[in-house]
Amino acid sequence: MSFVAEAARSTPRVIVQFCRADRRYDPLDTLEVHYQVDGLEDEAVRAVERTVLWYTEGKGEEDLGVHFFERIADRQRLPPEAPTERFTTRLPPSPLSYEGVIVKIRWCVRVRFFFGGGRDFVSEHEFVVGRIPPARIPVAPA
Amino acid sequence: MVRLPRFFGKKRGHRRTGSQAWASLGDGAFHALLVMAGLVFGGLLLSGLAVPEWRINHHFTPTTCRILGKGLLRRTSTEPAGGPTSTWQPCLLVRYEADGRSVESWSQPSRTTLTADRAEAIDGLSAWRLGDDVPCWYDPANVGIVVLERGYNWWMWLLALLLPGALLAFGGSGLMRAIRRWGRSEERSAVLSRFTDMLDPLASGPPRADDHPGVPMCDNLVNSPGTFLAYRLPIESPESWTLIGFGLFALLWNSVLTVLAIGAGLDVMGGRTDWLLIALLVPFAIVGLAGIAVFVRSLVLATAIGTTQVEIAAQPLRPGRSYELLLAHGGSGTLESLEMSLELEEQATFRQGTDTRIEKLIVWRKPIQSWRDLNLAPGTRFEARATVSIPDLAMHSFASEHNAVRWSLVVKGVPVRWPPFVRSFPLVVYPAEAAG
Repeated sequence: MSFVAEAARSTPRVIVQFCRADRRYDPLDTLEVHYQVDGLEDEAVRAVERTVLWYTEGKGEEDLGVHFFERIADRQRLPPEAPTERFTTRLPPSPLSYEGVIVKIRWCVRVRFFFGGGRDFVSEHEFVVGRIPPARIPVAPA
Repeated sequence: MVRLPRFFGKKRGHRRTGSQAWASLGDGAFHALLVMAGLVFGGLLLSGLAVPEWRINHHFTPTTCRILGKGLLRRTSTEPAGGPTSTWQPCLLVRYEADGRSVESWSQPSRTTLTADRAEAIDGLSAWRLGDDVPCWYDPANVGIVVLERGYNWWMWLLALLLPGALLAFGGSGLMRAIRRWGRSEERSAVLSRFTDMLDPLASGPPRADDHPGVPMCDNLVNSPGTFLAYRLPIESPESWTLIGFGLFALLWNSVLTVLAIGAGLDVMGGRTDWLLIALLVPFAIVGLAGIAVFVRSLVLATAIGTTQVEIAAQPLRPGRSYELLLAHGGSGTLESLEMSLELEEQATFRQGTDTRIEKLIVWRKPIQSWRDLNLAPGTRFEARATVSIPDLAMHSFASEHNAVRWSLVVKGVPVRWPPFVRSFPLVVYPAEAAG
């Protein structure tokens, strides 16, 4: 791939707005997300995937669970024809966001754009489910 | 322009990990290789064993033949480390009628008498007498091929089905998984379906509660009723696994030792003394005896300390609620102390090189109740009631493929004259019920 072709690739900018400014939700709440994409230049978008998921972080291998997934390949609903989109989902009762010591659970919205040539671009936006306080201090073995 | 996938893909933060595309490609190529090996191996077994045997049993024509002669077929091969070696196959010269003409042909009376011992091969011919008329079956496509026995070699059929079958099943499922993931985002690949669960049941992680994603099932915790309270909790005792481990080691080690010792003893009885073997047996015997001693000591420890049981009034538990408990401990002797606590443990499974490691960390602990100087009498058991409260903002139980957050009741005891013991009783805590 030449430098010219590399430079011609667009770097999209995705602006996501949650229905709550603090991005804090309780289980079973309704999550409403608006997103807007710009900076696509002239690169054609083949598809968009939008996902609401949880994933684990920490010492262990990453696990993830998808709660909401939608793939859009209809040209009328893809940028640049549709630069803004929204979707709504009701959150599940679990798992709750958790800030553990070696295990952390995070919720996020991912918007993934697929371009020609197999390239994709993903934008990730975190939010919090539940009100579990962090487990910061390890307990010494008794 | 065709673009190859990148070798490295950026993960979250500043870490770099392997490219998912190359990983899928490598995974797919590996499993495709297994499928190919299964097909080739299966094809060879089918064409070399299964098809000829099936033809003998279904296509060969029955008739009667007369035994005209006996002989041995010698096969000579040169070993890389030594001189030529020979194997012997008993053969019979028979005459029979096929397609209206008389045919003479050499036949192997049995398919299992190939041997390196010439005398044994000659013995294999002793059951056949010259001039006898015996049943035989000849190949209608080539009347010179005749057999004196029919039937199936079930062991070979089992091998023919099992080995290629295992390669095809393992490789095929891996290949399907790689194909399913190829070109798809990790989110799309992670969308669960019954079909993908069936193809790759381990990928979906431990069994989860139907209505609570990420929360482990508590079926195993509610299938044993208690004597006073609703459920008796299953025990997770590290000592039990240690005991099983010591027992298996002692059994396997001493089995091997016994076989070697019998061999050495037979040699000595036969007038031959293999001093090297006997010298090797001495340290082996010391390790074997030490293994038995450690196992017996662990067994005595496990039985002398007595059993611990915990019953609880409800399962699964919810944050902000309290639950009645019953602790019972049997055995005899004196316990300096016995304490019960509620613990929250994080567990992470990760790879380090080619090893898979599990790290556990207790992140929260709350004592429930403790007792001192308990005198246990044989035939009775110590029983005490207590109450456990789950904090309002407690994290719920969580289990995924590589990570877990686990609640448990932990009983620790310090007996007089015996080492301390720890026994853990897992619990499942659901998230607090939503107000709406």
